[in-house]
Order: sequence, then structure tokens, then C-alpha cells
Amino acid sequence: MVEERIGVYICHCGTNIAGTVNVQEVTEFASKLKGVVVAREYKYMCSDPGQDLIKKDIRECGLNRIVVSSCSPLMHEQTFRRVLNETGLNPYLFQMANIREQDSWVTEDSKAATEKAKRLVAAAVRRVSHHEPLEIKTFSVNPNTLVVGGGIAGIEAALRVADSGKKVYLVEKEPTIGGHMAQFDKTFPTLDCAACILTPKMSLVGSNPNIELLAYSEIEGFSGFAGNFKVKIRKKARYVDPEKCTACGECLNVCPVEVPSEFDLGLGLRKAIYMPFPQAVPHTFLISKKETPPCKLACPIHQDVQGYLALIAEGKFKEAYQLIRKTNPLPAVCGRVCYHPCENVCNRRYVDEPLSIAALKRFAADQVDVEEIEIPSITKNGKKVAIIGSGPAGLTTAHDLALMGYDVTIFEAASEPGGMLRMGIPAYRLPRDILSKDIGYIEKLGVQIKTNVKVGKQIRFKELKKKYQAIFLAAGAQRSVSLRIPGEDSEGVIPGLDFLRRVNMGEKVQLGRRVVVVGGGNTAIDAARVAVRLGSSTTILYRRSREEMPASKEEVHAAEMEGVKLTFLVAPKRIIAEKGRISKVECIRMELGPPDASGRRRPIPIEGSEFTIEVDNLIAAIGQTPDLEFVKEIGLELSPAGTLKVDEATLATNLEGVFAGGDVVTGPATVIDAMAAGRKAAQSIDRYLKGEPLAPTPEEVKAPREPSEEQIAEFRERFPVQERIEPQVAEPSARIKDFSEVVRGYDIERAKSEADRCMDCGICSECLECVKACDLEAINHEMKDEVMEIDVGAVIVATGFDVFDPSIARQYGYRVYDNVVTSLEFERMCNASGPTGGKITLKNGEAPKSIAILHCVGSRDENYHEYCSRICCMQSMKFAHLVREKLPDAKVYELYIDIRAFGKGYEEFYKRVMNEEVIFIRGKGAEVTDFAETPEEEGKLIVVCEDTLLGVVRRIPVDMVILSVALEPRKDSDKIAKTFLLSRSRDGFFLERHPKLAPVSTANDGIYIAGACQGPKDIPDSVAQGGAAAAEALSLIDRGKVEVEPDIAVVDENLCSACRVCIRACPFNAIEFDEEKEVAVVQETLCKACGVCVAACPSSAIKQQGFTDKQIYAEVEGILAT
Amino acid sequence: MGEKFEPKIIGFLCRWCAYAGADLAGTSRMEYPPNVYTIRVNCTGRIDPTFVIKSLAQGADGVLIAGCHPGDCHYMEGNYMMLKRYTLLSRLLEQFGIEKERVRLEWISASEGEKFAKTVHEMTEKIRQLGPLNWNTGKKEGR
Repeated sequence: MVEERIGVYICHCGTNIAGTVNVQEVTEFASKLKGVVVAREYKYMCSDPGQDLIKKDIRECGLNRIVVSSCSPLMHEQTFRRVLNETGLNPYLFQMANIREQDSWVTEDSKAATEKAKRLVAAAVRRVSHHEPLEIKTFSVNPNTLVVGGGIAGIEAALRVADSGKKVYLVEKEPTIGGHMAQFDKTFPTLDCAACILTPKMSLVGSNPNIELLAYSEIEGFSGFAGNFKVKIRKKARYVDPEKCTACGECLNVCPVEVPSEFDLGLGLRKAIYMPFPQAVPHTFLISKKETPPCKLACPIHQDVQGYLALIAEGKFKEAYQLIRKTNPLPAVCGRVCYHPCENVCNRRYVDEPLSIAALKRFAADQVDVEEIEIPSITKNGKKVAIIGSGPAGLTTAHDLALMGYDVTIFEAASEPGGMLRMGIPAYRLPRDILSKDIGYIEKLGVQIKTNVKVGKQIRFKELKKKYQAIFLAAGAQRSVSLRIPGEDSEGVIPGLDFLRRVNMGEKVQLGRRVVVVGGGNTAIDAARVAVRLGSSTTILYRRSREEMPASKEEVHAAEMEGVKLTFLVAPKRIIAEKGRISKVECIRMELGPPDASGRRRPIPIEGSEFTIEVDNLIAAIGQTPDLEFVKEIGLELSPAGTLKVDEATLATNLEGVFAGGDVVTGPATVIDAMAAGRKAAQSIDRYLKGEPLAPTPEEVKAPREPSEEQIAEFRERFPVQERIEPQVAEPSARIKDFSEVVRGYDIERAKSEADRCMDCGICSECLECVKACDLEAINHEMKDEVMEIDVGAVIVATGFDVFDPSIARQYGYRVYDNVVTSLEFERMCNASGPTGGKITLKNGEAPKSIAILHCVGSRDENYHEYCSRICCMQSMKFAHLVREKLPDAKVYELYIDIRAFGKGYEEFYKRVMNEEVIFIRGKGAEVTDFAETPEEEGKLIVVCEDTLLGVVRRIPVDMVILSVALEPRKDSDKIAKTFLLSRSRDGFFLERHPKLAPVSTANDGIYIAGACQGPKDIPDSVAQGGAAAAEALSLIDRGKVEVEPDIAVVDENLCSACRVCIRACPFNAIEFDEEKEVAVVQETLCKACGVCVAACPSSAIKQQGFTDKQIYAEVEGILAT
Repeated sequence: MGEKFEPKIIGFLCRWCAYAGADLAGTSRMEYPPNVYTIRVNCTGRIDPTFVIKSLAQGADGVLIAGCHPGDCHYMEGNYMMLKRYTLLSRLLEQFGIEKERVRLEWISASEGEKFAKTVHEMTEKIRQLGPLNWNTGKKEGR
């Protein structure tokens, strides 16, 4: 080993060090340390003569290690390393001792400071003798630049870089660039219109061939090092193809959804398809979609509820009906008999009541004659499918398959199609002609329905198997469950379903005067209401209580209105017959025990509570099961419950090509559930016949999510209570006379008002009207987010600011009083293209006669932000001027702490405004209230403040208050800081490398910051920083190569024990395992030099170059040696 | 002991937050006792608990470890590594009979010069009260 020859240089830094530290004594001390050949002191080591001193010694004294004891290495380490390099010495044979920032500047005790300096020098000397020459790796620099944020700073940076001929990716989170500046009206102090000076620059960005504008996009991943960054960007789906869209605006005319405009801060409305403002760049529309609304998710066939409600509200009934038809083959039926799970989850229930969705669907269906609906052209594929049963499941499958081109034949045992829809549901709920029309449409699609054909009787199942390539079994649950009590076979006891079937099929059924219906489901209610219509006095016996009734609440209510009596907690025990005919029922009272398997409380008979009632007929409606006589012979598997067994995902049975769904599988359920099964079966059968794998690609099952507290609060704020409008219903006394329809539906105005209550939970309603309106076919609702990866050499972060939300500072009355607005809201109000068209108005539309402008709201306030937001004084005075211009008679007050008019032309503007009869009051606004103390204050907002020039508390009655709110770090700045590994200063803004000397650089080479993300600033400063950051980026790119600090980790292969602890410890996935050699390998371009792996390695096999254990121990020893 | 006891404290500081914070204390001319001698590492995650033990064994009366605030680590999670190691280390030191105030972990950002100065003040004062550790010689003095 070469003998170490160390040179030590102690800097005076003028008097900065030498004023406290006795540098001569330190030099003297250093000269005696081991290995030290020369020790010198000098006034300014960083100056050229100082540097020359070192160079000269290296040459003349043959020094091979250097220690400089001066300021912080963060300041001048690079300077001195360069000195070594220039003299041919490896720059890493160098160490600095920080005796200024961490010694002379923090201690006044000269003796102690000198002692500390000595120890620090000793540490550096010991350390440097362990230094080894390190190689600086150079890498080429990718010439592309990424600019994050499209406000004025980002725009300027992008344009400057692009103008040099280099490629720029400009990523903006919002759909347009322009940032906050685009929202402003005029700019101070020149009063240029913001749009007039900004939009030309925005267009330049849009048209510059070197700029790839990625608006409505976000950074998802970031890695690499200066000159060689990899960036992952998510381009959010706009649902509008910017290549095709010409921004003609035809889509705007047809979009039925209006929501508060973000660009106008909620002061105005925009459509679901929109452009944030007329000069947006990219100049194209987009559609905003939130998560799928709960109504659509809850619907078993996922109908576009929000879409058809929006269209009904707009009066576009035919369009609404067509939209319903896209997913629902039986709209008129569902509009009447669906149990509407959609309404149960409707978010409007948190405001008042859910929308009347089912009835509105019926309304839409009533407006259209289905017989006039056009039949789509279908290309037949020649494959044949048989469907057994023409209920909702069978009809849906037939409808879907017919549209796909299959030849579908339905076999129906009854004389008319419809299954339970016809036989189970009475005409007063579902008129026969309505049902026939919906079925008629399906027949028009080419579906053949063969009635009076019972499989197993008129046709053998085997025959079907031969003739058809696939079979769907949807025979329903047709058999009534018996009561299993003595006397059940007496004359006058009728199974519920048989009763309904006979009545519904037009048979004359004679009932006695007193009828008892047993059961609590919809069949029981139907039977009871039919019995009432046949002239009987009807009582329902149910063994549980009202809460447990499975029948829908509306139906129960309607039955009671019609005179049906409900008797709860009673069950029949025995039927007493006279001459074979029922005369009495012996009943027993029940009480409720613990819940059973269905979750309902189990009824328990009360011993000795028997009683008898006299009856003429008993209708037993306690349940149904499938009639599966014919399937046993053909070998179909059954479930223990006696229903058909199928694969839940595909509805395939154990026989190939045979599928089953609806009540035959589930037991008695609902129309819409049967339809959902029918749809699933159609998709399975289609896959089966195409030879594709049966199992569908698993889709994410999304259940409707409960809205959060904040969302509920937002609903309540946006939507005032507006009660649900129910459809018209026939009078009970009139309606029980015949089987005419009970629910009469809506008239047009009521339907529109009810549909208008929809809160547009998904924003875009997916009514697809825009698709129809767009001749250019630019709209695609199926568009998905795109993720792209790019390589860049430099990054400029210009993500801007947020404005302070003054609603947390309750004393200002923001969101309490109508006419308290923020500065940004006032900007929109003044703007000619804003929500008021440039008029300054109160909420009631009148012009204010007096306005107070409060400075420093949220700024210079220890409760919120201590810092000064820098723009508020000037902005407030600009407002005063604008008020003067637009409302010359209005009084304007400026309430300020100090006026900070620091920029070019600012003071002059202040003077000008002072001469415009604006009343300046020195004192911060303390409170805004509407509590009047004098008659003059009545009906006004009163601003309370201390006038610090007069020394009195004043109460100023005004019509409008403008809060000049603070600029604060963006809400997502934490995420951005993490992505780009930026530090943040105490106020939360991004931290620059040096507050004065490197204002746009960061601690990370190759990453620069510009504009208000670094701290509040006005437009000129933001533009200047944008330009400066561009210059920094270009200087890196033009250099063409970067040097990477060699302080990375390296693995000693001989020591590595292959435990892989380091691989788990590395935060950057920079360590790989070499399976062949069985050692860990650090990838040097990915290593960020944190040293975590070094400390984690149990075998001490990893060392960090420049920070080896030996070097650190040497430092410790040096400090503690004396 | 004739002279007033002045503890020697080794400070292991990460370069991004705590070291920059210490520099800021100097730039802002905040006065604090000259008892802390800092050693700069890139990240607190580099700090091997052995560094602390060695320092104490070589005659330090206390060790200050300071890095970025949780969530602010320049290397994503190096400071969490340190926190884990520190938790174990302080238990070990307790078993050695070393007062836990002698080894302190602080989160100090680059903008918290004031916090650095305050930490040094507190720590120096506390260790002055505890007296020298003298772990290297085995003698306990000044108590």
C-alpha cells in the first residue's frame, strides 16, 4: 500500500470561521496528525487562490489525500473534488470537515468551537486515509423532457424546451391545460385579460410538434436517475377520440345530464359531456363518469337506470324506451311487476326517498307502441336452440339468442305463453294485452312459441336433444306446496297457484262468501286480491308477523286498501268438513322464536290457543316447487331442495348441451332474477355452440357501495328535499269491481318531475344520445384508461397550488351566508365567459351596493398558514378596480394588514386604486355576521374589524364579502413528492436545492421545480421559473452525459451467504439474485445509494463505496480519540 | 472532576433531511452546545446498530440518530428500517444498563434547523445530568 500523504486545509471563511475558531491552533493540531504532510490555513479556500494552493501542494508535496475543513459539504464538496480531479488525483480521496454551519455559526464560545473543530478535523483525517479511488460512471442523457403540470409555469417550461428542438411530454391531470390562470379574469397590475395572454400560449403548446400533450393524465410510476428516467403515465379515458372530435358541440345539445362545473367552482352547470372552457387545449370534449351507480349495480340485468331517467326528465320518452330495451326484453312487464332492487339502493334515499324507478320505466313503455318498434336485422347462423318454458327466463334467453342469430323454439305446456307472468300474476297488475305485446315483439325476432306442448307428454326430451343443438330448461316452479294438515283434500280447499291459473286463464271460478288465504308471499296476496274481486270477504292467515312477510310492501298495502284482512301469528291446524266440503278451519296461534335458516324468526305454536273460524273456501299459498316429473327419466341431477342442479357460473346441467335457469333452479323467485338467469343462459349457450370455453371470463363483481359520510353530506347540500311523486292509482272501491289495472301510471309532467329527482350518481348516464348525435363517430363509451411508458432525461414539476377553503375558518361565514365568496369565485364571476357572464351579482341576482374585500384569509395566520401568499394584496386591489369599473356607484372596502405591492408596477397600481375612491382600512377582517345591531345593518352582512389606524373596532355593513384566500400546497402534493422523491419545506411546498442560488433545482439531479408548487407566487415569477427550469433541463440534456455518484452498494461475492435479506430490504428492487453463482448482485443503475442493504446484510458482504464501515468507524475514532 | 463535564455526542445524520437541517440551524445562526459531532450518511437506513455500540464503546456519552420524517424518506423507507433497528437496539442497551436517553432517534427535516438545535440542547443537558458513560474504561464518574 502506498503511504498516505494527507494535506489538510483550514478555511477562515473571512471571519465566518476564523471569528470564532482559532484556525491557527487547529492547523497546528492537524499538522501533527498521523499521515498529514501539510496543514495550511487560508482566508477563502473555495476561492481560486485557495484552490490553487491545494493544487500546488498536490504537485509539489506528492499529496494523495486531501481534507478541507470549511463549510458544509453540501455547499462545496463538489468544488474541491473538482480540484483533485484537475490535478489528476481521484476526487474521492477527499473529505470535508464542516466547521462553519455546524461549529463556528452555532457556538460563540471560541475555546469550545476550536476544540470541536479539532475533533472534526481529526475525524476527517482518519476517515480520508481509508478512502479509495472510486470510478465515476457516466451515462448518456435521454434528450426528452417531462413537464408535470400544465399551468402557466408548466406551459412556459414546455414551450422553452420544445423551442430548442427537444421533445417534451406535458402531463396535465385536468382535461385542459391552462391551470388557475385560465380561471382568472384580469391580471394585475396591467389589467390584461388573462385569457387573452394565456390562450395563445396554450394553442402554441397544442400545435408545437415537439410537445406531446398528455392532458387528463396522471403519473403512475417513476424510476431511474438523472438523464435516464422511466415514467409510467395513465391516460384517463375521455370517451371522446380527440383525433375525430371537431368540437362542434352537437353532443352538448343532446346530453341530458347537468352537474356543477368544476371550472366555474360549482357556480355554473356543465353537461356530462363537456369541455372545461371554450378555449380548452386539447380542444376536444370529454365525458365524466364516476363509478357505476348503485341502481345499475343492484339490478340483476344491470339496466341503465340513470340513462333512461335522464331521458324521461328531458321528455325524450322514445329514446328512454329504446335504452331500456337494450338490456330489458320485457320493459312493460318489468315496469309493473318488478320488485325493483334498484330503488332499495338509490342514493336519493339519503336525501328524501328513492326514485320511483319501476313506475318510470312503465311510463316510458306506455309512451311507445311496441308493435311499431323496428326489428333489427339479424343474420341467422343456422343453429337451433330449444327452450322449455315461456316464462321470463325462457323469453329472455329466446330474445337474446334470436338477436345473436340462433333459431329458437319455445315449448310451452300451457295454451298461452308467458309462464308465471300470465298464470301467476293477475290482470289488474299486468294487463294481458301488455304482456302479449312484449311477447309479440320477441316472436317478431323469429322466435317460435309452440303452446300446448308439454315436454314428456306431447314431445319426448330425447327427441328435442336430437333436433336441437342446445336446450334451455326454464319450466318454472309450478306446483303448489300442500299444507299437510288433516282435511286438506276437502272440497273448497284450493292450491293458490291452481286458483290463480284458473282465474288468469279466463275460467269462471266460483268462491263462497268467506275465503281464507294461507300464506304471506306475493302469491297469497295475489290470491286474496283476486278473491276480493270475485266478491268474497277475504282474510289472510300468516304464521309470522307483518315484518317477516316476503310479499312486497306495496302489494300488502294495496290488498289492505281493497279490504283484505290480515291475521298474523296464526296457522291452520285442521280443516273441518261437512259432507266432504270445508266448513271450518281450526287454527292455532303462534309466537316468534329465534331466527331460522332463512334469517326470519321461527313461529312456534302456543299450546291450547286453538280456535275455529267458519269459511267457505281456503286457498293455500304457502309455496311452490318445480314440477320435474319428466326430468328424472332423462338423468338430470337434482339438488337436495328438489330443484335442478346447475353450475352457477354457466347454468350448465350435468347433461351436455342442456342448461337450466329461473325458478326451476332457484325455487320460486322474482321476474327480474329469472330474466337475469335467462340472459346468463343465452351467453353460455352462445359460447357452447361456438365451441368456446363455457366459463365466462370472470368479471369483477361489483356490489353497490354505501356512500361515505362526505358523499351523503354533498348529496344533501346539492339536492333540496323533494318528495317522491307516486304514480296515479285507481280508487280501491272502484278497482275491486273488475280486473282492470290498478296502477294507472304517470302523466307526462309528473313523470318528468319525478325523473328529474335523479342525482346523476354516475355523472354520465350512459344514455348514449351523444353517440347518436355525433356524425364523426368520435364517442366511444367503452374507452378504457391507457397506460404508457416513456423515457426522459429531465423532469420539470410544475404542479401549482390549491386555494385555501375558508369554510374551516367559520368566522368568515363562507358557505353560511350566500354572498360571501372566495377570490377565485369572484374571478369567475367577473369573467365574461363565467357563470354570470361577467356580471357582479348577489345570489338573488341584484347588483351589490357595497363590497368588502378581506385580505390574508388563511395567510399570515398561525391558525392556518403562517406565510404570506404574496398575490392577495394585488389581487384584492384588482378586484376593487374591477368593481369600480363595473359598478361605479358601489362602495368598496379593502381590509388589509399591510399592503405588499412589491413587484414592477405594483406600487403604482396601489396608488391608482387608492385614487379610485376605494376605502382602505388597516385591520384584518375578524368576523362576518348577519346579526344586525342597528337599523342600517338590517339585511346586510356586517364585517367586524379593528381599524388599527383609528384604534377602534368597526362594523361595516356590506352586501357582499370577498375573501382573498391563501394559496396552499396541492392536496395531492404528498403523492407527487413521493413519486419524484422531492423534499417539502415546512409550509408543505416543494423544497428547492437552495433558496437563493438554486431556486428551481431540487436535491435530485435532473428533477426541477417551477411555479407555485415551490411556494406562492404571481404569474411573472411563475413564468420566470418555468423558463429557468427549462434552461436547467436543457443544460443537462445538452451536456449529453451524466455522471453518477459512485457511492453505491457492492456485494463481495466471496462473503455473500445467499440469504437474500438485502433483496427484501432494498426499497428500489435494485438487487437481484444470481442463481448460478448463488450471490446477490446490485444493479448499479438502479441503486440509489441509501445503504439500507449494507446495514441489513448479516454477513457484512455488502459495502457502500464512500461510506464503508471502516470509514465510518475511523470518523468515530477520530472524534473520540482525544 | 474539576472541570464541568462536557458530554461527547456522536450524531449520525442523513444527508437529505437531518444534516441539511443541522446546516440550516447554522445558516440561521441558532446557538446550541458544541457537544454533538456529526457523521453524515446518505440515509439513516445505512446506520448499523454496531455504529452506535462502537461509538459508546469508544467513549461517546451519547448518540443522536436523526433522519427524515416518516413518509418523507428520500429513499422511500430507509427511516423505517432505522426505526425498527432502533427499537431493538434500545432494548439491548437497556439490558446493558445504558440509560435510554443516551441514544436518541429524532425525525428532523431539512427545514427544521430549530428542531435540530432544540434536540441538541435537550440531549446535551440530559447527558450532562447523567454524567459520563465511560463505557470504554468501565468506570462511572461524576454521579
